[in-house]
Amino acid sequence: MKTIKMKRNRERGIMARINIGISLLIAAGLFFGGCATLAPKKPSALVPTDRGTVVFMGKYEFKRPPAGWVLLKNLEGGDFELGFLRMEKGGFPSQTTFIYDDEPFGSSRELERRSEQYCTRFLFNSGVLPQIQKKEKVEVMGQPALAIHLEGENPNRDEKSRSKVYLIKKGERIISFVCTQWRSLRENYDPEPFGHFEAFVQSFKFLQPTFYEELGEKMKKLKG
Amino acid sequence: MEAHQRDLYLYERLNARVLGVSMDDVITNKYFAKELWLEFPILSNPLPWMGKSYGAYSEKEPFLKDGTSNWFGRRTVVIDKKGIVRYIKDDSPDNKEILDFLVKLEEEARKK
Repeated sequence: MKTIKMKRNRERGIMARINIGISLLIAAGLFFGGCATLAPKKPSALVPTDRGTVVFMGKYEFKRPPAGWVLLKNLEGGDFELGFLRMEKGGFPSQTTFIYDDEPFGSSRELERRSEQYCTRFLFNSGVLPQIQKKEKVEVMGQPALAIHLEGENPNRDEKSRSKVYLIKKGERIISFVCTQWRSLRENYDPEPFGHFEAFVQSFKFLQPTFYEELGEKMKKLKG
Repeated sequence: MEAHQRDLYLYERLNARVLGVSMDDVITNKYFAKELWLEFPILSNPLPWMGKSYGAYSEKEPFLKDGTSNWFGRRTVVIDKKGIVRYIKDDSPDNKEILDFLVKLEEEARKK
């Protein structure tokens, strides 16, 4: 009896090992099968053109900054549509960011009034309290615009900021481009990143009508 | 709220009116509206019956045992001309979705 039991136990052990072996084979098959599957490749957010520009998600075309700048994109709504960031040499917080924001803070559709509203909240949470250094009427994309230069300091955090903001009339609405450079109080600002920002803004083109332009068309049809 | 103010001219063209509802008192709402340049009314509803009526308490009770109230959640409601709730969305409002919906309501109204 003992011999039979031992034999059965040994057989069970062998069966268990075979089962584990088969399971491992199936698992390995699934694992390597997964590797063999061709996953659809995510399209790049920035597609280069032969004009030395890039196209972002089929919506905008512009000159992108050189290597070293990281793309910031917002796909689910939020504070901005897209932008670029670069960490720079020097102590914290040495960096420059620039963005395109299709819905800048405020509600007025008149440029001067909107700039007043916008500037009350600009870098609101940072504590640097940016002050307007210069405000000038300009044209961007052939549209009336305001260029606003702001600077601020937060001595408690050893931080300062220099910004350039464009508020631009686009149809009935106002859009914005914003560049902000951060430095510690003892370090100098660097004009070079602002050059990339200017190239970005001056080359920026809309390849598709915006949501609000499409809405305007729908509303015209409703009236008609 | 600020985004609603930005789109207020479009709401008006689509025959819609915006009303905000808050549990804050009238004075707090007044300063809040001033700070954001809001031109539409904000109703003060400290005893949150409106929040309860429109289902803005999905996970908690409106009233506590000690007689105070819980804050109601963010909810956007579109009510048509007959007083029927036609659209509900929790959390932050999606203005573009609301505007698209209002266009549909207008199309619907014109077909009748």
